[in-house]
Amino acid sequence: MKKFKFGTIFVLALVFVVAFGLSPVRAESPSEGGDLVVALGEDPEHLNPALTTGYPVAAATANVYSALTWRSEDGEAQPDLAKSWDVSDDYLEYTFYLQEDVRWHDGEAFTSADVKFSMEELLANYHGRFQDVAERIADIETPDDYTVVITLEEPYAPFLSSMTVFDAPILPRHLLEDVDDYGDADITTSPVGTGPFQFVEWERGDRIVLERYDDYHGQVAYMDRLYYNILPDTASRTAALETGEVDYIMGHYFPRADIPRFRENPDIEVWQGIRIPALWFAFVNHEHPELGDPLVRQALMHATDRDLIIELSQEGLGNYKIGPMGASFEFVDFPETNYENLYPYNPDRARELLDEAGVDSLDIEIIVDPAREDLMQAAEIMQDNFRQIDVNLSIDTQEREVMIENVYEKRNYDLSMQSFTSGGDPASGYHRLYTTQDFGTPFVSATGYSKEEVDELLSEAASTPDVEERKAVYEEALNIIAQDVPILALYEEESVDVNNAKLRGLRESLDVRDKLNKIWWSE
Amino acid sequence: MSKKGEGRSLGQYALLRIAQALPLIIAIIIINFLLINLAPGDPVTALIGEFPVPQEYVEEMRANFGLDQNIAVRLVRYLGNVLRGDLGFSFNYRVPVLDLVLNRLGRTIILMISAITFASIVGISLGVAAAKWRNSFIDNFAVAFATIGYSIPVFWSGQILILIFAIWLGWLPSGGLQSIRGDYFGWALIVDRARHMILPMLALSLRYMALTTRLTRSSLLETLNSDFILAAKSRGVKSRGILWNHGLRNAAMPIITVVGFHFTFMVAGSALVETVFGWPGIGRLLYTSITARDFPVLLGILLVVSVAVILVTLITDLLYAFVDPRVTYD
Repeated sequence: MKKFKFGTIFVLALVFVVAFGLSPVRAESPSEGGDLVVALGEDPEHLNPALTTGYPVAAATANVYSALTWRSEDGEAQPDLAKSWDVSDDYLEYTFYLQEDVRWHDGEAFTSADVKFSMEELLANYHGRFQDVAERIADIETPDDYTVVITLEEPYAPFLSSMTVFDAPILPRHLLEDVDDYGDADITTSPVGTGPFQFVEWERGDRIVLERYDDYHGQVAYMDRLYYNILPDTASRTAALETGEVDYIMGHYFPRADIPRFRENPDIEVWQGIRIPALWFAFVNHEHPELGDPLVRQALMHATDRDLIIELSQEGLGNYKIGPMGASFEFVDFPETNYENLYPYNPDRARELLDEAGVDSLDIEIIVDPAREDLMQAAEIMQDNFRQIDVNLSIDTQEREVMIENVYEKRNYDLSMQSFTSGGDPASGYHRLYTTQDFGTPFVSATGYSKEEVDELLSEAASTPDVEERKAVYEEALNIIAQDVPILALYEEESVDVNNAKLRGLRESLDVRDKLNKIWWSE
Repeated sequence: MSKKGEGRSLGQYALLRIAQALPLIIAIIIINFLLINLAPGDPVTALIGEFPVPQEYVEEMRANFGLDQNIAVRLVRYLGNVLRGDLGFSFNYRVPVLDLVLNRLGRTIILMISAITFASIVGISLGVAAAKWRNSFIDNFAVAFATIGYSIPVFWSGQILILIFAIWLGWLPSGGLQSIRGDYFGWALIVDRARHMILPMLALSLRYMALTTRLTRSSLLETLNSDFILAAKSRGVKSRGILWNHGLRNAAMPIITVVGFHFTFMVAGSALVETVFGWPGIGRLLYTSITARDFPVLLGILLVVSVAVILVTLITDLLYAFVDPRVTYD
């Protein structure tokens, strides 16, 4: 009996020792120090996130500037420069209560006047992602230094999620109010923000250096310094990650074909998932005599092997069982509007539809930017697919700037491969694919598709904050769109990021370019 | 002016050549300006990002860049500015073009000079050795090296060098201007940058090394078979003296021509090398400026490079006389 008791104590003691011995490994705590090197594939044009929505500019400035809110992994708006907010019952009045102890990196105090100035003078006039919000803003008031009241003309469902640093970065009024041309202002090349990192230097073509801002209003960064290393060659970026010269490459900047190579490397962590959905598709010019017929477009959908495209051009990372606005947002995903149910890969059915439309054979061209390898591969597969239904598709490679001119400004094309981001909400990024658009505007629908009913329904969906009600409106709109097939929607992409396996705290924000202050080195 | 029959002095000759180059440079500016401005693609769309912006913004930017003016007006204005030494303002980088181009040109020139020096030293030595010990192992090696080295595209050799020296062996950095994490100053910074330059320099020099090897070998072989070499041998000049003083000096003309010629072609080669190795030089700037339709930078680079090529050609011509006393400046 006594002996047994002793044994029990011994075992218990052993358990304790093991448990305590292991606990530091299980629950690592964040440690301060070290540097983070993030690869960028191109030099940003400048460092003013209010003047462009270009990817590298936003990537390099998302941690220098802040905004009223940021979006966590689940897409919810979190307090940033606004510590809290009230929303009126009719969703027309948003009152933001600002953090009171925030200073710009140059020491000036941040106030509500900065918010008003940024939105009215900068974002409304220059920022592509702020336009949908700007159209609905009736008034911005600043009753005191730390309160901003924004009144809308009509509700806007993604309003709070459109207040992030990617949609509505807040810039310092005191450095911009006396400037004539914002493009030439000093802070356009050496930014002064309220973010967790402050700007140190930009060696054009080589690196951008940021360092920790100790007075940051949120979680002070763990890293001492944040470097953006500009490496234009994809193979070199991969090599730099393997040699440890670079710690983090966002999915935008490496070819999918490298994924297997990264997975084999124990020093590299591969993350995959859908954060901000993005749609890969082909624009169709509805002014083309045959392509203007919905039957022909339905036929082309039936003829496209979307599964194969994902398999061959995306290493299998993507979802082709989608509707006109993808399938990632639950409130736009309906079985009866899913293209996989409506137009599954079926060349025979495609041929029947063409016969029904009275089209014997068709000679069309597809414009592709040759720098986009994935789009090139997709176009090649479509070329092969279409051949089976007597549609001769020739691939016309056009460099991005030329493509923009021909597709958007002149609408001189038949088909064109594209990818659009949702921007975090269908109303921000996907509505522009189906609404009536002025001829000549870049980065919106270039199809010429125009249906008043669809315009009205989508506008209603954007101004319906209640999710269930909004879903019902989308169902109605998408039923019309899915029959019309204005564009050939191919798939929604799954993102992949690669990073040094010793990094922790990555991707806490919905947009992975943001909140790098939360990243730390284990060990 | 010199009298007929007397050669011009070196200085006079150089001045004359420069004077002849001026109209050429102006013609180059005009042709480049028209070609670039008439090519499809709008610089403004490159700058607004990936979402639509108000039309007023696009108009404002176009007016700021002067793109709303007639092309003839813009050309005349540009020529006037260039004559005053103002190459304009980059659409893309928001800095004066001249600063940007000179900063990048410096880095490319460092890379090119070290590559040419290295290629010339190794290429000429290998070529001389091959010619001296004809049909030996070293000759066969030199010929094989010349053929292979000349055929390998620079972006491929660059990747192979990265694979071997950066990834497998870990001896040298895979790219960039300097260690991104290191805060080096003074001597340590120079050493660090030199380490970053080794692989791009090797990649860039390989092709020229091969070409110089082949050229030195064939040119020297031809010279060594000449009558005056036979005469020198019969006078009892030592074989080393024949090889270096009689042979190489007489074989040098085509080598100098090609080395000077390399320089101009290297600007093109450097665009690839600089992209592969992330070296922020002029070749890469040219590439980014083309994709961004950054007209002022593009014109600035073409102008600076044209001037550099004209200067190098002039220096090459002047070197002829130094090597070959028979050349006069008529």
